[in-house]
Amino acid sequence: MGSESLPPWASQPCMMGIDEAGRGPVLGPMVYGCLYCPLSYQKTLASLKFADSKTLKEEKREELFESLKEDKSIGWAVDVIDPRELSAKMLKKDKINLNQISHDSAMGLVSRVLKMGFLLSEVYVDTVGDAEKYRCKLSEVFPGIRFVVAKKADSLYPVVSGASIVAKVTRDRALRNWVLHESVANTHRNFGSGYPGDPETKSWLDDHKHPIFGFPTLVRFSWGTCSSYFKDAVEVIWEADKEEEDGSNNKSGKRQLKLSSVGFTGQKRKSEEVESSAKGRSKFFQSRKLELVTDFH
Amino acid sequence: MEFKEDLDSMDDRRSDVADFIDLKSLDQVTDLTSQIHNLPCCIRHDGECQVSDYFKPKKTGVVLEGLEVEEGSFRGRRLRGATVPVPDGYRGLVLERRKDMGKGKGVEASDENSSWEATAKFDNITYWNHDSFPSQNDALMRFLHWFPVADALHKPVTVEDLGCISNSLDQKL
Repeated sequence: MGSESLPPWASQPCMMGIDEAGRGPVLGPMVYGCLYCPLSYQKTLASLKFADSKTLKEEKREELFESLKEDKSIGWAVDVIDPRELSAKMLKKDKINLNQISHDSAMGLVSRVLKMGFLLSEVYVDTVGDAEKYRCKLSEVFPGIRFVVAKKADSLYPVVSGASIVAKVTRDRALRNWVLHESVANTHRNFGSGYPGDPETKSWLDDHKHPIFGFPTLVRFSWGTCSSYFKDAVEVIWEADKEEEDGSNNKSGKRQLKLSSVGFTGQKRKSEEVESSAKGRSKFFQSRKLELVTDFH
Repeated sequence: MEFKEDLDSMDDRRSDVADFIDLKSLDQVTDLTSQIHNLPCCIRHDGECQVSDYFKPKKTGVVLEGLEVEEGSFRGRRLRGATVPVPDGYRGLVLERRKDMGKGKGVEASDENSSWEATAKFDNITYWNHDSFPSQNDALMRFLHWFPVADALHKPVTVEDLGCISNSLDQKL
């Protein structure tokens, strides 16, 4: 996605803004967007009235997005991260937190635009986590670029405001046109904003929970919000969680949830209950989880 | 055909009871080939569920160590797996405890002898790992090693086998 054939200004020093949309919501994709233009275009850009996308109405955002797409001196690109990808990464055995995912996505956009052949000299980024640490990380990966990492960069720098419009419009469209992967009857599309506090989002979650599967894959299972909906769901125990309970790995982010604790009914279960360990038998059988069964239960 | 095995001979505490596995109607039984999934988690639920509405694994087109990698997800976790055939000469069965047994006892006494019935059969099994790609080192793949070992240990030796051995010995000499 994004603009394609290389404009003549690609070889001039360019600036880029990067912002995200849909980081907080419990459902739908997270979108990283960027907008870039030659440094010489900076003044014109400031006159285009790209405010922080959150302060604009949806129609205004759509309108601005359409006009920046037409602008021959502006390029843009997006990275749409599927909620399945977010859940999978945040619930991996070696968990990847949302900040890490965000950093990777932003860096992916920078390298994509560099590879297309644009000469990026300045990149403005709305911060995720500690701004200075983030800036150091970016500068290390892209030594030729000057990075400005700031809180509320989307309201400070027009190029980031533009990026936030790109990201927000893309996220809204993606959610609006979302096709559920599940073939379940009685689904509806009143997702609301996707933010956990939104009553519409809450009732969508209520309407689409499932005792075994939890939710459709539109939902980010790694969000803490999911836990209250799983209270009466079937308990599922994963090996990765067992290790976590045993101590050591407790650095998981606030939003990440231990699914094993969901619906727990009291006593802890030992791994032997979950799968056969072939205890006391030859190593050949132990490593193959082969157990001698004399009767079934 | 009635298949009856005295499994309890291995357990001297219960010398006079026997478990039955009834394989009478294997031809009429549902074939669940390609629908048996072994998940890397324990789901504390026993019963029916519209699995295919939610669980939609896909082939990735990637082949690793001779295994065609498939991808799916369950409760937000990424699953990677492969479909493995049940070895030749073996059969996958779903067994269910027969309800008409244990009459007069009221409760299903798990320590008593029980009768089992094959309610479904399958010729392959798809096993899933949490995140990690399927490999020949996975427990399920390694468990297949038992079959040739069992054959080597327990298969009656035929005259042909002996012939083969002496032939190969002759060639070496």
